[in-house]
Amino acid sequence: MDATEAAAVLDRARQGDGEAFRALVEQHSRSAFRLAFRMTGNEQDAEDVVQESFIKAYRQLGRFESRANFGTWLYRIVANCSVDLMRAKQARHDQIRGDSIDDAIELPAADLPGPERLAHSAEIESRVQSALDGLSPLERAAFTLRHYEGRSIDEIGATLGLGTSAAKHSVFRAVKKLRAALAPLRSQES
Amino acid sequence: MSTHFTEDELTLHYYGEGRRRGRVARHLDECASCAAVYREIADTLALVATPETPERGEQYGLEVWQRIRHHLPEQEAPRWIGWIAGMSWLRSDRLVLAGAAASLIVVAFVAGRIWPRTVSVAPPAAATAADAGGTSIAGNDVRHRILLTAVADHLDRSERVLTDIMNAPSRGDISTEQVWADDLLTTSRLYRQDATEAGESSVAGVLDELERSLLEIVHSPSPISTGDLEQIRRRIDAAALLFKVRVMSDELRQRDTAPAPSTSTQKTS
Repeated sequence: MDATEAAAVLDRARQGDGEAFRALVEQHSRSAFRLAFRMTGNEQDAEDVVQESFIKAYRQLGRFESRANFGTWLYRIVANCSVDLMRAKQARHDQIRGDSIDDAIELPAADLPGPERLAHSAEIESRVQSALDGLSPLERAAFTLRHYEGRSIDEIGATLGLGTSAAKHSVFRAVKKLRAALAPLRSQES
Repeated sequence: MSTHFTEDELTLHYYGEGRRRGRVARHLDECASCAAVYREIADTLALVATPETPERGEQYGLEVWQRIRHHLPEQEAPRWIGWIAGMSWLRSDRLVLAGAAASLIVVAFVAGRIWPRTVSVAPPAAATAADAGGTSIAGNDVRHRILLTAVADHLDRSERVLTDIMNAPSRGDISTEQVWADDLLTTSRLYRQDATEAGESSVAGVLDELERSLLEIVHSPSPISTGDLEQIRRRIDAAALLFKVRVMSDELRQRDTAPAPSTSTQKTS
């Protein structure tokens, strides 16, 4: 789809043309899923985020500036829907378990597996995953955008609706927490 | 040897950001302790490999479409339609006002022809209008700055309440904090409305989150149980609320001390 065609499709979708919106969904679904998966770390959650994001985008399409890039606009929606979903999950999780976020990543030394198991990449992945799960939704979102997506601090701020300082500090807090949580792995690796 | 760099600066350096990249690189060559911290950061972040995204086929877009097509809501009207709709109630009044103004001009013209003239020195109409416009813009800017300062003060007060709650002893009496939070709650709502009207959506967003926590504090029992207090603290922490309140307050103060922009349309990013 070239730029002129894309603009025409977008224009029709903004006027409520379902088929035109379908073309946009078909074009952007895979990239939306990739981002949602990186943000949430869970396939089913990513599917939910993708659907929710397109429904939200459709609702707000009339407010979308036609000169802007639909992909960029959708990217922001997906990122923020992911944060909302992670927040909701965390609130439910907190209610059920009553564990603090920090408790989740501060693993007692006695529970650490031995060097043989640590050498196993699956174990490393699992540790990293649990460390990422220990981040707050905003920290995780900012970290994902910086670390996996290669977005600059300014871009992260714009995507998540934060000021530059807030975006920067969200990344810093995430890195600090990861350093603390992954310190045992690092010492085993070195 | 130059001053050491913080962990945060080294993190920025790792990601290829920061204004002093050259200086950081030179320093890392010279300073063993900073180099060690940097290596530790780099080693940690190297462990966090990009996850392999589950494969989605060519037909995935179509599948998503099939799943959402029956759930598509009504599209919201474009902003300009909402704006015109918001102005439409003025239309009838505008016609009446225009008619009244026209009548006044005619009466003034006739009166001027009939009554004897008195000598008066009045400023030119255009200059008056320009002055009025300038005063209006300056007035808006002043009001905007007053709002920002007031909200920054409000955020500082709120931060103290939240800090007290975070540090309150378990099973403690939080009635003092509750009264304080109750006072702040009313103010917070008003500031949020003002911020929304002024187009300060980031400020309004933080105030909205703040309101929810204040509301929770106000409606908690006192003395509070350990579990309830932990619940409040977890929510404050999960939303990174204290952090956001601090950052927003600093940002507003920086904007307040910054030179006034040429127009009064400054917004937070």
